[in-house]
Amino acid sequence: MTAVASRTGQRVVPSLAARARDVLVFEWVKLRSVRSNYVTLLLAAMATIGATAVVAQTIASTRAAPPAALTGVTVSFLGYAEYGVIPVSVLAVLQFTSEYTTGLIRTTFCAVPRRWAVLAGKAAITGGAALVAGEVLAFICFFLTQALLSGRHRGVSLTQPGVPGAVLAGGFVLCACALTALSLGAIIRHTAGAIAAALAAIYGLAVLCMVLPEPWRYDTGRFTMPFAAFQVLTMHPQPDLLSPAVSMLVLAAWPAAALLAAGLVITTRDAG
Amino acid sequence: MIELNGLTKRFGRVTAVDDLSFTVRPGRVTGFLGPNGAGKTTTMRLILGLDVPTSGTALVGGRRYRQLIRPLRQVGSLLDATAVHGARTAYDHLLSVAVSNGIRRSRVPEVLELAGLDSVAAHRIRGFSLGMKHRLGIAAALLGEPPVLMFDEPVNGLDADGVRWVRQLLRQLAANGHTVLVSSHLMGEMALTADHLIVIGRGKLIADVPTQSLTRSSGRADVLVRSPRASELAELLTARGAAVTPEPNGGLAVTGMHAPAIADLAAAHGIAVHELVPRQPSLEQAYLDLTAESTEYRATSTAAGAEAGS
Repeated sequence: MTAVASRTGQRVVPSLAARARDVLVFEWVKLRSVRSNYVTLLLAAMATIGATAVVAQTIASTRAAPPAALTGVTVSFLGYAEYGVIPVSVLAVLQFTSEYTTGLIRTTFCAVPRRWAVLAGKAAITGGAALVAGEVLAFICFFLTQALLSGRHRGVSLTQPGVPGAVLAGGFVLCACALTALSLGAIIRHTAGAIAAALAAIYGLAVLCMVLPEPWRYDTGRFTMPFAAFQVLTMHPQPDLLSPAVSMLVLAAWPAAALLAAGLVITTRDAG
Repeated sequence: MIELNGLTKRFGRVTAVDDLSFTVRPGRVTGFLGPNGAGKTTTMRLILGLDVPTSGTALVGGRRYRQLIRPLRQVGSLLDATAVHGARTAYDHLLSVAVSNGIRRSRVPEVLELAGLDSVAAHRIRGFSLGMKHRLGIAAALLGEPPVLMFDEPVNGLDADGVRWVRQLLRQLAANGHTVLVSSHLMGEMALTADHLIVIGRGKLIADVPTQSLTRSSGRADVLVRSPRASELAELLTARGAAVTPEPNGGLAVTGMHAPAIADLAAAHGIAVHELVPRQPSLEQAYLDLTAESTEYRATSTAAGAEAGS
């Protein structure tokens, strides 16, 4: 009981860097202390690698040559684009919605009343984790696919120009999707709704664009994440879409806009 | 020290907190009382910067909560003990809270021991009883050794052991000079714990008084008298100016005459008295009287008087 008694006379104002580190460590401890986060990530990695192997094997065993869009680096990401992106996006959504649904968000906001800092901390930790996981997975998928395709002389090598950049971009795509999903979780607060919104933003809009009549199909579609991702992951960019460089900006603009919206919403709204 | 100045919060057309001004001082336990829905939790959320006030200010140590740097070292709070992530262990939960405010990690086992949770530190919170979650929440509030502590209904749903623990802890914190604000809708609990009471109803301040003066001011002291010749005695008492109210169980509630005078009167007339009990007004009754007033939106002379006196 006596331990309660002591009152700290601490009046030293910690530096901004120290406070930024506080927030980062806070979010990191929260991320690593929930076991299902690891399980989900592991299952996602296994599903992605499995799906990638099936796709590569199918293409390797097809007698007819695949269309140019499905050659080279792109093939490596056909499994990744769903089995990697969906679980990681759901995990990212949960970073906010699990706190809102349990009420833990109030503890978080009491600990860090500057809510921009909470958003930035979560974005850094979740985005960083997604980037690392994405790069690791992207290279695994690439090497696995090329190993299976090389027997049919349809593979590409990492030493070919444009290939390393395309593989690296694979990790970035996962990070962009995760940050977009994280922001939607902060805005919507409810898990199911936020997952639906995240999937709609990441995949749904592109699907919607595909049913538009011809001139608008790609005019609008090229601003969606899947088309932009295709352009940065392929060695054969489509001429009616945006250039790989601009597509990269599109991929960055989605999470940037989502984070900005989330920041405005959580700072002005009462805590859930 | 917590200072509220004209604090007001409206949700649409509902005014949850209505022009609330009071000061919570260090060195004593301040009970924050009011019926369910009176606005206690909303007031605490406003103090913690979780909600934005419509008007007015709430200051902790002279500053708004949102301006505090490493706030958990200045204010420890527990609003809702169940607001935790069940998949985390007690240790990890407290560790995350500690690191968020640059609190040394060795403080985590200290508060776990203090809360009596050291044996379940590595268990996931999901399996905790409500009482254990309360202890965990209080442990989290104490992590930063803050001078100001605020608990929302900390004994709700606790067993006798837990209630005693919380009560002792609150008293100890106050004795050590902390500012302690504890909300409750149970007057009886506050009577045992709080030195000072702030009573609100429908978001408005009803009373801001020392706990003792609340009983005194209600002035409903009476004497319970039981006699085999009750009706005869009642007539004699009434004849001498006392007010007599028959109680359902056969006793007489007498006001306006003290117990010795009643005994003398009965003896003088040879009337046997089986029971003679002077009764202090209960805090519970005083509280009910006060909050009943609030439903009528009556002005509060109690509050004004107390402020002038303090």
